[in-house]
Amino acid sequence: MNLYLLAPEISLCGLAIVVILLDLVLKRKGILAVVSVAGLIVPGAFTLALWGREETTFAGMLAIDQFSLFFNLFFLVMAALVILSSVDYVSKFRAFQGEYYALVLLSAAGMMLMASTRELISIYVALELVAISLYALTGFLKDPKSSEAGMKYLLLGAVASAVLLYGMAMVFGLTGTTHLEEIAQAIPGGGLLANPALLLGIVLLVAGFGFKIATVPFQMWVPDVYEGAPTPITAYLSVASKAAGFAVILRVFYEALGAVSLDWGIIFAILAAITMTLGNVVAIAQTNIKRMLAYSTIAQAGYLMMGLAAVSALGSSALLFFLGAYALTNLGAFIAIIAISNKIDSDLIGDYSGMARRAPLLALALAFCLISLIGIPPTAGFMAKIYIFNAAVQYDLTWLVIIAVVNTAISAYYYLRVVKVMYLEAPPSEEAVPSSASLRAALSFCCLGVLLLGVYPWALLRITQAAVDIFFP
Amino acid sequence: MLENFGYLGVFLIAALLFALTMIMLPPLLRRFGIVPKKPNPVKSSTYECGMDTVGKSWVQFNFRYYFYALIFVIFDIQVVFLYPWAVSLGQLGLFGLVEMAVFFLILIVGFVYAWKKGVLEWK
Repeated sequence: MNLYLLAPEISLCGLAIVVILLDLVLKRKGILAVVSVAGLIVPGAFTLALWGREETTFAGMLAIDQFSLFFNLFFLVMAALVILSSVDYVSKFRAFQGEYYALVLLSAAGMMLMASTRELISIYVALELVAISLYALTGFLKDPKSSEAGMKYLLLGAVASAVLLYGMAMVFGLTGTTHLEEIAQAIPGGGLLANPALLLGIVLLVAGFGFKIATVPFQMWVPDVYEGAPTPITAYLSVASKAAGFAVILRVFYEALGAVSLDWGIIFAILAAITMTLGNVVAIAQTNIKRMLAYSTIAQAGYLMMGLAAVSALGSSALLFFLGAYALTNLGAFIAIIAISNKIDSDLIGDYSGMARRAPLLALALAFCLISLIGIPPTAGFMAKIYIFNAAVQYDLTWLVIIAVVNTAISAYYYLRVVKVMYLEAPPSEEAVPSSASLRAALSFCCLGVLLLGVYPWALLRITQAAVDIFFP
Repeated sequence: MLENFGYLGVFLIAALLFALTMIMLPPLLRRFGIVPKKPNPVKSSTYECGMDTVGKSWVQFNFRYYFYALIFVIFDIQVVFLYPWAVSLGQLGLFGLVEMAVFFLILIVGFVYAWKKGVLEWK
């Protein structure tokens, strides 16, 4: 048992406890955000120190490899950006700021564990650590809308957990073990149709994890929860929670169920086609920008699942790249919305009219992120779409790519509508929109990242290729 | 694996038989005239020995009990962990001691938190 391999997660939990304790003794709450962000350097440094190692510990339950280290860094950066962009927002709830930051940190620790465990029970425990923290965060505003969102998320999340556990029980019952690599050895041959129990198990697993990544038909919770939750938490849900779901799907399906990949590849391909179409078509009708982005994240989950459907090293590395690009883009869009909504106190797209005159930089950043979500160069979204479409074509999924391209065209309509409202319509007032320095820092980090990945994607691409190498020895 | 389930099965059957016997015994004894039937108001009351209930059973509890219940559960679980740990501390050695100290520390953080937030004060 090597505790050092768990150092990033342990130090992150320690940081959360320190933040809670500081909250009890400090009068000036502004320091909490500084401590939370600065403290993230410690788990980040541990992750970098572990970089390149490939070991397992705790009787094979925990794996430290390029894949888990990639996601460690990913979640740490996401947590830092969310905390930075929350500083303006937490002024809305004066009393519980320490708990807010601590819950964000704890859920990040859970996400890191989700990406690095290779045993079903620990996967479930890590998943619940993430989920319970996020339930609390969703209802944090304590107004009727936020409470309703939290309640809905809790109830549906509990159902999804039960379904997931049932799937795990099926797989355990068939193979007699919860360790992913032992499951891989115990999987009976002959494909899924010859093993109805395994098929049932896999379908239930897809349903349980599908709730996390918000794929159709497990997407009902997304619009309501995203609308009601505090906006920074909506951003966190839409990128980090989704990424954790994809990480755990990659780990479970490649490491344990690789022998029947042909069968689950088809499941994901069909789900991807339905998910992106439904997300994009329903997003057109939305008037609330948070709801619109909620449906947009459902559509993006559809594109992401193309990387799962194309069962290959190319497909999964494209998926990781897409996750990175999508996370920066979506976070950027949400951060701009946080600043604007704080001032105009409304989430309706119509109220964004003339924003280009009131807040030129914020409007520019939002427009840039929306363009990246469509996938127009020179943005990260463009490169990400190229890689993932390429992977799907190489895997003979041309029909899926055609559907995805049509969907991209549909999505341009509702993304560009926001840009049009901001740039071409007259503002109701000329008042400027204020924003804090930390929010501006987080927003510029996202936008620069989106631009950088759009013109120089090779660095991240090399890391993602190294990360998925563990699944394709 | 399967033998273990068989063992459980024996327990299950024994439990069912015991319950069935206990339910069937009084009517059977009456049937064969071993026990006489002499009801009276005291004997037929819900609790023959005990107090009559006052009011309805649907009453409101003070919300604050909920905090006490939570804190109680924390320390209850701590005791559950402490007993087996204390018994086998000799074999666990220093590592076990440190591990329990870490566990305690985390629990104490929770307790300090509740204390500072004023949960322990009855207002």
